[in-house]
Amino acid sequence: MYGWAGKILKIDLGSGAFTTEPTEAYIEDYIGGRGIGVRLIYDNYVPGTDPLDPGNPLIFSTGPLTGTAMPGSGRVDVTALSPMSNLRAKSNFGAYWGPELKYAGYDHVVIVGKADKPCYILINEGKVEILSAEHLWGKDTHETQKAIQDELGDPEIKIVCIGPGGEKLVRFACIITETGDAAGRTGMGAVMGSKNLKAVAVRARGAVKVARPQELLDLSIKVVTEMREHPAYQELSNWGVARSMTMMYDFSFFPVGYFEDVNWEEIIQNYQGPAYIEKYQTKNVGCFCCPNRCMNFISVPKLGKGVTSCEPFSGFTGGIWNLDMDVFWEATLLVNKLGIDCTETSASIGLLMELYHEGVITAKDTDGIPMERGNKEAILSTILKIGNREGYGDLLAEGQKSFANSIGPEALERVDQVKGLAPHAYEFRAYHGSALGQAVGHRGDPLPLRNALLEVDWHHAPEWFQKVAKEQFGSEEAAIPIEYKGKALATIISEHMERVADNLGICKWLYGLFIFQDIEMATRFFNVVTGKDWPVDRMLKVSERIRNLERMFDVRQGLRREDDSLPKKFFEQPLKKGKYEGQVLDREKFEEMKNEYYELRGWDKKTGIPTREKLEELGLKDVADEVLERE
Amino acid sequence: MIKTLIVDAQKCSGCRACENYCSLKHEGYCSPSKGRIHVVKWEQEGIYVPINCMRCEKPACEMVCPKRATFRNFSTGAMEVDPFRCIGCLSCVFACPFGATFVDQDTGHVLKCDLCDGDPTCVKICPTGALSYEEMSKEAYLKLLENADRIPSLVRTALGEE
Repeated sequence: MYGWAGKILKIDLGSGAFTTEPTEAYIEDYIGGRGIGVRLIYDNYVPGTDPLDPGNPLIFSTGPLTGTAMPGSGRVDVTALSPMSNLRAKSNFGAYWGPELKYAGYDHVVIVGKADKPCYILINEGKVEILSAEHLWGKDTHETQKAIQDELGDPEIKIVCIGPGGEKLVRFACIITETGDAAGRTGMGAVMGSKNLKAVAVRARGAVKVARPQELLDLSIKVVTEMREHPAYQELSNWGVARSMTMMYDFSFFPVGYFEDVNWEEIIQNYQGPAYIEKYQTKNVGCFCCPNRCMNFISVPKLGKGVTSCEPFSGFTGGIWNLDMDVFWEATLLVNKLGIDCTETSASIGLLMELYHEGVITAKDTDGIPMERGNKEAILSTILKIGNREGYGDLLAEGQKSFANSIGPEALERVDQVKGLAPHAYEFRAYHGSALGQAVGHRGDPLPLRNALLEVDWHHAPEWFQKVAKEQFGSEEAAIPIEYKGKALATIISEHMERVADNLGICKWLYGLFIFQDIEMATRFFNVVTGKDWPVDRMLKVSERIRNLERMFDVRQGLRREDDSLPKKFFEQPLKKGKYEGQVLDREKFEEMKNEYYELRGWDKKTGIPTREKLEELGLKDVADEVLERE
Repeated sequence: MIKTLIVDAQKCSGCRACENYCSLKHEGYCSPSKGRIHVVKWEQEGIYVPINCMRCEKPACEMVCPKRATFRNFSTGAMEVDPFRCIGCLSCVFACPFGATFVDQDTGHVLKCDLCDGDPTCVKICPTGALSYEEMSKEAYLKLLENADRIPSLVRTALGEE
């Protein structure tokens, strides 16, 4: 088989048994990666199962292009039932683990059950072993990686693991790879922890077979060469996202605090990110086979070394009113070692700071630590207390809402979440396409949807990007942030494009930023590797099927139109300053955008549920029969 | 003047593209373990070291080969292995002082860098410039200049001019 390794591995940690099934049966309808992952979770999850119950399947998915020479081919999609939202979880990581899994002969790993004692899984070539992790329990993610490599006598073994956060079932715990790259969102680390599973280690020397090797070689060299000439490549590979932060703050795209402000003079004038990078970055690094090095390897004497990419740069600076880059770095390293999601953590700290600032809580509510804006102790103690579930951190570890609930309704109404998750730290009041993508999206964040990126790009050359929007998304307005028109169609097209990358197991950032802004190139790579001859339309049809199946999974969990919303702040508090002063989302127009979105999707406007007609058109009759009949 | 493959580990980002493309080029499939170059990585330190044949002047691989299967290709300078003479004893693999003669774990065949006949694929795709293919004398001369350049700048610093 070309492209795919050919097997899905199922491991039951309860009995220690494992089985395999062929990937082939799923390929025609779901391709691979996220797509097959969605079908697997839909089929394997039994409705009613608690996310932290042994029955919740944890699924790692690579795609047919993972591990190939195609640039950015190192991605893995992770899914399960999310302990944060009770909806389908979705997270994606890079680094080197995914290709290694392919070389071991597996496309997907489905893990169910719970081990009696802490354990880790070793996949060595094709062989699966379940080993004791009792001596690793309690260790942070850096120590765990090192200990497993030492124990197995192989420094090049690829490992994904959890830290104390996952062990203690912090609901937004994440899974950390050997480079520090993470499956950050939707609480996948907590699901691992609930299974007593500390790590999954992989080592293999196999191959991904290629249908047309010479063509793949030539095409890949051409693409890598072109990419290296792109200005965004130069920026990202030398600075990561450190310098573009300034631009984002200028565009009022980054919120300050807990979506309280967008124009904090101090951060605009004194943001020290680039200076910090210049001083402490040893090099830029990326993932498997990726020419673009969007992550910074930072080494700060006394504080430590590690990798960071985009989120902490905003979350641990403006998001928590912090200008001290040492605090930014300490916080980033801490969340990585504890294995908790930096986005949800910084939002949780943001919430505490807002509540304290508004006088809703006092230091008494947070173990005597005053939650002053930007306070170093407030930031670092909160992270430690969440990761170790101590004091008020124990409540926060259950989620922002649990903490707010313990304070009262005044605190609860201030929680800014979408579908149980902190929204990505982007400002939506002036960016309406991003707002729509966020609201209707499968989880609490929309990026990097192409149409959302376009709204940022638009500022650089409005006329040019309006032209691009017209060609790609059918209307010039799709590129203009404050417009409501054209956003629904642009969001749908972008959602389908995004899934192509995820299905193939390649990086959608790379794909969204450089030469793959349409899916022609990805489809070409797919055909060269697999030997198939699929047209672009067919790739997009699969994306639509997957989008609908994802929706149906969530509908089965009780999701409805009213869940496709945003925190009320975005509708009630206009931006006070900056480029988009006075902007606020108009609820009526926002709901109108949603109507348009559901209509174009073939979903029922009133409920937000896909119609039987649409599902049958997509070959999802079985799903319609199961879910629609019950409703 | 003869060119050679030069590794600058300081620049390497550890992406393993060189291993993977090497395998694609020589074996026709993607398998970094089949690369004729290998990147040793210390992820938590951010240190990555590509290891490749050094094309020694007195190559141990050539000297230990009982069948004289290892030979120098004088048009490129690469040490190559004649698959028809090779008996798979792996003497060359163990004799290499750099561990840079690799073996295909599935077939037992020796994997040796042939510099892609003077147009190395890994150099074309190395995104950081950690791998380059340069004339030996030119590269040595550049190193000499780089080293010498430190002296005037030290003098200027000492004089307080910078």
